[in-house]
Amino acid sequence: MSDVPLIHLDGLTKTLTGQGEPRPILSGVNLTVHPGDSVAILGRSGSGKSTLLSLIGLFDRPDSGRYLLHGNDIARVPERRAARLRSQEFGFVFQRFFLLKHLTALQNVSMALVNGQGWLPRRKRRAKVMAALEQVGIAHLARHKPARLSGGEQQRVAIARALVREPKILLADEPTGALDTETGALVIDVLHAATHRGCGLVLVTHDHAHANRMQRVLRLTDGMLVPEHQGVFR
Amino acid sequence: MGLSGRFRSALVIGGQGIRARKLRTFLSMVSLFLGVLAIVTVQAGSVLANRALLADIELRMAKDGTTRVNLSSSGKTVPIAVDTLAGRSDVVGTLTATAIIGEPGVRPINPGPSPLKYANQDMYGNSSRMVCDSSGTCRVMEQDAAGILPRGQAVELQLVLLTGDIRPYRPFPVEAGRWLDFGGPPSLSPSLVLNREAATALTQYRLPAEMQIISEAKNPTPRIIGTVHDANEVPTAYVRADEAMAWMSSASLGNLSLELYLNGDGEPLLQTLLARMSAVSTDPVEPYRSVVNSREHIGGQLDLMRWIFLGMAALVLLIGVAGILNVGLATVGERVEEFALRRAVGTPRLLLAGIVLAETLITGLLTAAAAIGVGVAGLQVAGTLFGDRREMLHDVAFPWEAGVAGVVAGLVAGILGGLFPAIRAARIPIATVMRA
Repeated sequence: MSDVPLIHLDGLTKTLTGQGEPRPILSGVNLTVHPGDSVAILGRSGSGKSTLLSLIGLFDRPDSGRYLLHGNDIARVPERRAARLRSQEFGFVFQRFFLLKHLTALQNVSMALVNGQGWLPRRKRRAKVMAALEQVGIAHLARHKPARLSGGEQQRVAIARALVREPKILLADEPTGALDTETGALVIDVLHAATHRGCGLVLVTHDHAHANRMQRVLRLTDGMLVPEHQGVFR
Repeated sequence: MGLSGRFRSALVIGGQGIRARKLRTFLSMVSLFLGVLAIVTVQAGSVLANRALLADIELRMAKDGTTRVNLSSSGKTVPIAVDTLAGRSDVVGTLTATAIIGEPGVRPINPGPSPLKYANQDMYGNSSRMVCDSSGTCRVMEQDAAGILPRGQAVELQLVLLTGDIRPYRPFPVEAGRWLDFGGPPSLSPSLVLNREAATALTQYRLPAEMQIISEAKNPTPRIIGTVHDANEVPTAYVRADEAMAWMSSASLGNLSLELYLNGDGEPLLQTLLARMSAVSTDPVEPYRSVVNSREHIGGQLDLMRWIFLGMAALVLLIGVAGILNVGLATVGERVEEFALRRAVGTPRLLLAGIVLAETLITGLLTAAAAIGVGVAGLQVAGTLFGDRREMLHDVAFPWEAGVAGVVAGLVAGILGGLFPAIRAARIPIATVMRA
């Protein structure tokens, strides 16, 4: 574990403003994730777990507080730089797999490399994609389109897409929500394996069993993160 | 690298989008096709009309930039002028006379000479004759009733005497036989090169080959050696000046108008010529110069028509653009999650807009290619079917300007049709994927 944390959130707040009354959703979140850390975040629906993940992943910006990435404050980073950071630093896995149905598994994973942040020749791109698919154990399905893949296989394609750029932090938003228990466990295995290579993992889940496999388990309550208990992988 | 990477990424993803929605792309192309084809057709028509008109004017007037000088002449000055101009390649002098080929002592079928379409019509009455000058302008002249001859098998011609090869200035294409040879010594039997109208007359009326030069008593027997296209409706024959002048008196030479064709102002030559002519003339020799500038002249005339038609074509194109826009907006609506996801994996907003624009631009370019292809094929078919009847369609090549116009129209339609969908795609909130 290095001294400088991958991410450090300090007093992060966020109020959702829409058509109705402004609704404070995060009111001073503190979180530190080091390389190789795995953190599970539990919480009831609407507690702000996904909002927190979208702030960490730079989908959105906090109203106040500090967000340090490798020690640099990126809480107010402009969109262009945020896009570059999303590409270089983060990998995202969602509950719905968001695979493009007209593309093969290989092309879906390749999508993360064809994003305007640098350019890899086709051969190198393909090698990286195949390595990522190999990592999640479905290299043999590279030419299959999503319609021919099971839910677990689709989620593994989505994980390969998140891993292909070798991110520093994996952000997973209920990645097992659409899967059966057994397949879900396999997906968590794949995600957790990434932490062995020094990748930080922040997992948002409702499933205590999956949460307990993380090093730390936190609960988001009243807009703040509180420790639930220590996970089994510690 | 950044720009190149983004550009390539936009093309790769745009290509994937098009392949995934082939039918939709095809329907967009159909909606755009007529507009682009209209632009291509108008531009091609305009260029071809311009070329045909310019080619005709070049034949009748001279190439752009040619200086034409008209000089007053007399029986004494003409031989001096011809002598001065003989053998020079930088200037050509012409003298226009009138001649009749056919039966002697009869009234030609086209007195004047007038164009053959008025032959034997006596439309101006027996006491009138139509007289046309070298520029093709015709007017009716009254004639003494006592001088009216019986109608016979004879054709009246404009006889253009040349001191050298005029084709560097007026590029007459030789259609049969050969052009005049100015190299050798003059022949007593003048060689004639006819224009189409004169050749038609001689073929149609089977005339004896005796030629009477108006106002001359001696009739030469000419040798007809070729036919050219000179865009002149008046029957015309071209002859070496020295060969024709051997049969002409100095009195009749004095009635001929002398015209020079030269590149640039030709001032030293002109001064020499004026000095020599003035030395033998009692009257001052006055030059009248004009520089041919047909391209600008006809360009102005055609531009208005072209812009009117292009405006109409642009309206048709706009309807196609509305089609692309409609499809584009619907497609972006369907691809909200895809675009949000692409942003989540680091795709910048600008590239998202670029992807949508790339798709519509590729659609526009494919449509342009199809429209240009149809234009090329259509022109070939028109050339095959109507090439014999329409000069401008004979052996015609598809003008590159029309191809460029088609590509530009396709690109503009792609940009106009893709701009709003592109902006909408770039504004899709990234958190869409989190809330889905």
